[in-house]
Amino acid sequence: MGIGKFRGSGASAFCAAAAIIIDLALLIVFKYSGFIVENINAVSGLGLPVPQIQMPIGISFFTFQAISYIMDCLWETVPPQKSFWKFLLYLSLFPQLVAGPIVRYSVIEEEITNRRSRPSDVSEGAMRAIIGLSKKVIIANNLYAVVEQFFGGDISNMSFLGTWYTVILYSLYVYFDFSGYSDIAIGLGRMFGFHFNENFNYPFICKSISEFWQRWHISLSSFFRDYLFYVPIFGKQRKYLNLFLVWFCTGMWHGASWNFILWGLYFGIFIFIETKIGKKRMKKWNKVLTHIYSKLIIIIGFGIFYFTDLSKLGQFFLNISGASMILSGNSFSDILTLNSLLNNLFLIIFAIIVSMPVLPKIKYFFFTWGNNKVYAFGKIAGTIICCGLLVLSSILLVDNTNNPFLYFRF
Amino acid sequence: MENKEKNQKKPTKKGIEGIKRSGIVKGFSIISLFIMVPVFFLTALFLVILPRSEVSNIEKRNLAEFPEFSFDALFSGQYTEELGNYYDDTVPYRDELKTVGYNFKSLFGIHTDDEIKVVGKPIEVVNKDGEKKNPDEESKPSDETSKQSSEADSSQSSQPTQTGTDESSVQESSEQEPEYTVENGIIVVKQNGHYRALELFGGGTGNAYVKALNNFNKDFGGKVKIYSMIAPLASEYYTPAGYEGYTASQKECFDSIASRLDEGIVSVDIDTVLGEHKDEDIYFRTDHHWSPLGAYYAAQTFAKAAGVDFKDLSTYKKNDIEGFVGTMYSFTQDANINNDPETFSYYTPDNIDHCTAYYYDTSFNYTGSGNFFNKVGDPTHNAYLTFMGGDEQIVKVKTNIKNGKKLLIVKDSYGNAVPGYLFGAYEEIYVVDMRYFDLNLVDFVNQNKVTDMLFAMVTYSAVGENADNLEILRTQNKGAKITDGAPD
Repeated sequence: MGIGKFRGSGASAFCAAAAIIIDLALLIVFKYSGFIVENINAVSGLGLPVPQIQMPIGISFFTFQAISYIMDCLWETVPPQKSFWKFLLYLSLFPQLVAGPIVRYSVIEEEITNRRSRPSDVSEGAMRAIIGLSKKVIIANNLYAVVEQFFGGDISNMSFLGTWYTVILYSLYVYFDFSGYSDIAIGLGRMFGFHFNENFNYPFICKSISEFWQRWHISLSSFFRDYLFYVPIFGKQRKYLNLFLVWFCTGMWHGASWNFILWGLYFGIFIFIETKIGKKRMKKWNKVLTHIYSKLIIIIGFGIFYFTDLSKLGQFFLNISGASMILSGNSFSDILTLNSLLNNLFLIIFAIIVSMPVLPKIKYFFFTWGNNKVYAFGKIAGTIICCGLLVLSSILLVDNTNNPFLYFRF
Repeated sequence: MENKEKNQKKPTKKGIEGIKRSGIVKGFSIISLFIMVPVFFLTALFLVILPRSEVSNIEKRNLAEFPEFSFDALFSGQYTEELGNYYDDTVPYRDELKTVGYNFKSLFGIHTDDEIKVVGKPIEVVNKDGEKKNPDEESKPSDETSKQSSEADSSQSSQPTQTGTDESSVQESSEQEPEYTVENGIIVVKQNGHYRALELFGGGTGNAYVKALNNFNKDFGGKVKIYSMIAPLASEYYTPAGYEGYTASQKECFDSIASRLDEGIVSVDIDTVLGEHKDEDIYFRTDHHWSPLGAYYAAQTFAKAAGVDFKDLSTYKKNDIEGFVGTMYSFTQDANINNDPETFSYYTPDNIDHCTAYYYDTSFNYTGSGNFFNKVGDPTHNAYLTFMGGDEQIVKVKTNIKNGKKLLIVKDSYGNAVPGYLFGAYEEIYVVDMRYFDLNLVDFVNQNKVTDMLFAMVTYSAVGENADNLEILRTQNKGAKITDGAPD
């Protein structure tokens, strides 16, 4: 509000800076204090007690929403919200509070005050949320079971193909898990009349790493683009330093662990290289090759994302590069991988198909291209399929309840 | 979805009955809600209102109970956690819904005549050349053994415990010996048109077992004859080609144990005998136990070694329980196991009407008498409870044989199927579970004038953590008074 009052003067910038510093300080205390102290201990040998702080749910998301609000007010893209309650409503909007997306204030500014929820909003929103739930429960959870089977324990004697197989499934898992959550959030929001922006746009069809990040977790990458990259912290001439700062922060945002930072910087490097090459030149490249290049980088990237334990991450690199075949005689392929592939073949094929923009094409056919009859058929069939998916997801969730394998009667 | 938005704003002229697209959109959205809302509420009501499950038959356990309220528990978060856990655990029709879920998951893969599903992450224990892979690199500090930790030969399934080398703890205590990861995952194979779940054996030394038996032998000074009979896991006989490397030879392990047992102890080699009968149903396909038929061949081999009378199977009455699906269903969560039930056949001796089983708690307090063979509540899942109704007790069987011979069987649940074949050989048979016994076993044997002592258990127990209990049974509560409260 201070920003609004002193609009255009230096005081507004001061208010904004103070608010952002407080927000970030809270985030650092809750999320990163353990990590920071552990690292200080490791470097200095001081035995500082590592604080065990319970993180408030969704802190990374609502902190960023607050920052985006402050910046938008500062830059006068939106008028400040005069009602404190409505501001709180924006910050704690429950559909996306837990797992994103990061909703910009400008996106829902109008809808916070004037919102209409039509029958079509409720119906579309509900279907979207059910599809999100199904992505999580039917696809992601089952892919993760395979990933844990292979990556969960000791990975030192994993075969070359086994490592590739598992990390590919893990990449699919993260996509379905995360985009499933976003679908649920967007769907729930829609049911109440909010129109959030899309957070994923079929990232695996990208042809470059830059494009991947325009399609993956869009609300986060655009946040960093708008609020960090374009802010010339290191001066306009040193924009590459800024680029790496952005990717450092992107990695860090995902979790308080070195592998996430490494993961962010890893993408930073490829985006740096891609900007040096230039978009136009890359467009002329063979499409098949660019697809292979981008998928390889992304999939290996998810390996970095998985292994929070750096020694296991090192072993992962040895396995996936084939080095452990030479160094410690690991096999090229193994029977367990082959079997797992056969046991999950349809699931994997289905997941790969759904990770490509098939659903929008179906929707276009029924809801836009077709006549009213086709529309009606599509709507009813879609409803029934969603009901089936809801029931199926609920049933599969029963199996996720605790399953401790304890024996009381034997 | 975006596309549809545009449509709403720009009604097209495609309406065949003259209805505008926006009207169609609205109308069918309402119809769609009329379908979805009831489904949603019915699903929710189903989960919340119907009577909650209390027991899981496929997991053989009692489900969580409603937590007791206290302010302490509320503020520590324990109450809400337990409450959530209660609702998760006791979903109405839990077992049935899980079965639907597992059946759905079986659609994920290709089914062939020789399909194999792997549960957990087996580690290759034998090289392609047949050489063992460095067992000493993995050490497993043996835990402070408690009954909780040794929750059965019923393998704790899916995730075989992976333990790294912890040199400091190994050095600290010479008692702690390097140990293999005994459990090594499960595979489900299709053989001769039927599914069979096999627990793989990661290998092991059996040092704790050998040490305890030798100590018992010293304690008795030859007055009590000790027999060691370790039952192999089914993977010893039914492991398919390509997977041999993932399960260690149990025969080699037993031979090594036999060679280290003191001279007075008789090792009963049932591995070879069972191997000769592997084409018969000596193991359950859906359960982690051997079948009563397998136990028969084992008991026969023991009787021969002990020089006691043994009656042929033809003199027994065969009892069949159809539709049996055992523990491996919940271990593997594989619908194929559940959809391929088997017959549980057990054999009652002809003198059964003259034999009485006396039941005691784990401290030998008499609780009642009855038959050794029990009628089981839900036999299709729990048929193995036919023998004495379970494990957590001490049982004494008095037969109509008068030869002064008294046998004590120290066993895990594999051993439960053995005593029934020896009712013609001993005057009294005591059955003690190695996991559930609170007295001093040496005192117990002496007091009850036991003449023969048989250790009968599966590989996982003899080589795994359960074996640590044996030394505890030998040394705990020495000198405590033991009285038999059963009526004569």
